[in-house]
Amino acid sequence: MKVRINWKRAAIALAVLPVAALFVAWLGFFNVGAASGHWKITEWFLHFAMRSAVRTYALPIAPPDGPPPVGVRPAAGHYAAGCAMCHGAPGAPRGATVRAMLPAPPALTAAALADWSDAELFRIVKHGLRFTGMPAWPAQARDDEVWAMVAFLRRLPELAPRDYRSLAYGEAPPDSAGDVANRFEGALAGCARCHGRDGTGGGETVPVIAGQRPAYLAASLAAYAEGRRASGIMQLAAGQADAALFDRLARHYAGQSAPAAPPTDAAPELIERGRAIARRGIPERDVPACLGCHGRPERNPVYPGLDGQRPDYLANQLRLFAAGVRGGTPYSHLMTAFADELTVRERAALAAYFASRPAR
Amino acid sequence: MRARASAAFGLAVPAIATAACSGPQSALDPHGVEAQAVATLFWWMTLAGALIWCAVIGALVYAGRRRRRVFSARAAGRIVLWAGAVTPSVLLLILLGYGLALMPDLRPASALTANDRLHVEVVGEQFWWRVIYHRPDGPPVVSANEVRLPVGTRVAFSLKSADVIHAFWIPQLGGKMDMIPGRTNRFSLQATRAGTFRGPCTEFCGPSHALMAFAAVAMDEEAFAGWLEREAGPAVRTEGPGLDAFLANGCGACHTIRGTPADGTIGPDLTHLGARKTLAAGALPNTEAAIARFVAAPEAVKPGARMPAFGMLPEREIAAIAAYLAGLE
Repeated sequence: MKVRINWKRAAIALAVLPVAALFVAWLGFFNVGAASGHWKITEWFLHFAMRSAVRTYALPIAPPDGPPPVGVRPAAGHYAAGCAMCHGAPGAPRGATVRAMLPAPPALTAAALADWSDAELFRIVKHGLRFTGMPAWPAQARDDEVWAMVAFLRRLPELAPRDYRSLAYGEAPPDSAGDVANRFEGALAGCARCHGRDGTGGGETVPVIAGQRPAYLAASLAAYAEGRRASGIMQLAAGQADAALFDRLARHYAGQSAPAAPPTDAAPELIERGRAIARRGIPERDVPACLGCHGRPERNPVYPGLDGQRPDYLANQLRLFAAGVRGGTPYSHLMTAFADELTVRERAALAAYFASRPAR
Repeated sequence: MRARASAAFGLAVPAIATAACSGPQSALDPHGVEAQAVATLFWWMTLAGALIWCAVIGALVYAGRRRRRVFSARAAGRIVLWAGAVTPSVLLLILLGYGLALMPDLRPASALTANDRLHVEVVGEQFWWRVIYHRPDGPPVVSANEVRLPVGTRVAFSLKSADVIHAFWIPQLGGKMDMIPGRTNRFSLQATRAGTFRGPCTEFCGPSHALMAFAAVAMDEEAFAGWLEREAGPAVRTEGPGLDAFLANGCGACHTIRGTPADGTIGPDLTHLGARKTLAAGALPNTEAAIARFVAAPEAVKPGARMPAFGMLPEREIAAIAAYLAGLE
């Protein structure tokens, strides 16, 4: 028999094809079990497609200019909380369960990481990988955090187990966040991994939370937990913690005394410019005086104090406010209203000024 | 249907026409020298226009209905010369002369240079008015959204803008003049009778242009002096839960209340807010409830207003702030 192909038959075949495909899928003969693994050619094709997509989507990504990303410590803490269970860590290799996954998440050895450029790692960390179980960064607005994670990943293979633990867990023992009888102590240990038990730890991008008002700390924890303030690191941490403990955690850190501000190396003119803006604002650009809200001892307790805060943290928050992605407590829109009027230098000046003031 | 429509039109036209003859924003109810001069000019123009219209229509009717004979070429030439060229030219010259003669009084140069008298600086901002009284004998007095001036004295104005072009006009007293960013425009006003008027922004300036107005109050010389003395003074209440909430929430970073730590200069000065005729630059009546409403959601009252919303404050704090501000007379 001779089948002749003409336009009409081709059209019918095209119309029937999706129905047939749906029918085959409904029959359920296609094996989605992981026991047998992929065929070699399927595995090759999937990997080829994934690598190609990452390479192509990484093309427009340019690493940030300027000094190397700060914030490796919180990235390490986040790695321990969110990544290490699949990708392993120095002194804590992947478990058997993880190695049996399809596909198995790679151990992040020097060889595995050398395959990828910084931009490609950024792409994978920020957007995740479909069909592999690799999730996207929880806060898509925080490229700064993703770059910090890339910077941490570059250091990861060289870290000795001890160095990794101290970077990721601070003074707290690695297992304290998990199975501690006292729930509050467990949650506090989770915070302490970056912030320290005294609320002063964490490195340049992590705020000093010691001595902050409890209302502000509790409202910020709630904002992270509910996704109103963007941070992949803090959204994960606050989301894992018990919201009923936020008040107690806030009171704990509010009760700590803030350390004396370290001597600043900022130029005196920069600090002077920051002082002028903090005291008088920039009226011609509708920028109010910072101290009008943040400087008053009897201020609304949800307004954070800024004295003695770390300059990198302050400048980064002003940048996020200016970009309109900061979020936070129900009062955060007061900052968004004018933050984009500040130039990069003015933001740096304000950060330097508040960092130079003794914490109260 | 058509008859009814035209009847409605016949009723509506006089109603609309006469509606503008009085009220707080009518140029036809003048209380100032400039507005009086312009109103007189308007009535003369209207009268002259009406007479000319009647004459033209009369000639038309005469030519079409009464006169059956054709004018001779000479007579027609004379009519064209006298009625078509000479008479209109003379009438226009008279009106032009009258108009020009009014101008020195409308923009008197003498008032603009005098430093020894009251000088009012008005700055248009989206969407309110910063008003600064420069006195010969004392520091400037800062207020907002209300212009007061003494009857019988020529008051110099300097008009500025902080953002876009606005325009200043008090129809019952005089004006108007544009407020242009980067420029200072000067003119003067002299009120002849006391009264309270409305001054609208008369240059489109953004989404709340139609909600940008101020109250203008012409007062007797003595009453004005007393008012300015009080306006120059500090707030009548400088403590209380309302002020505490005002300061704690940072309102003082943008607003000044003299006598308190609130010294912001971005928004309107609120030292004597309770004594003003209107709230939010003419957008709301000046009541406690309206203040609370504006504090909670300025954008809902005035689209595009620069003040952020404070609706997240506990209701009792908003109420305390509103009660405090309403009491600042």
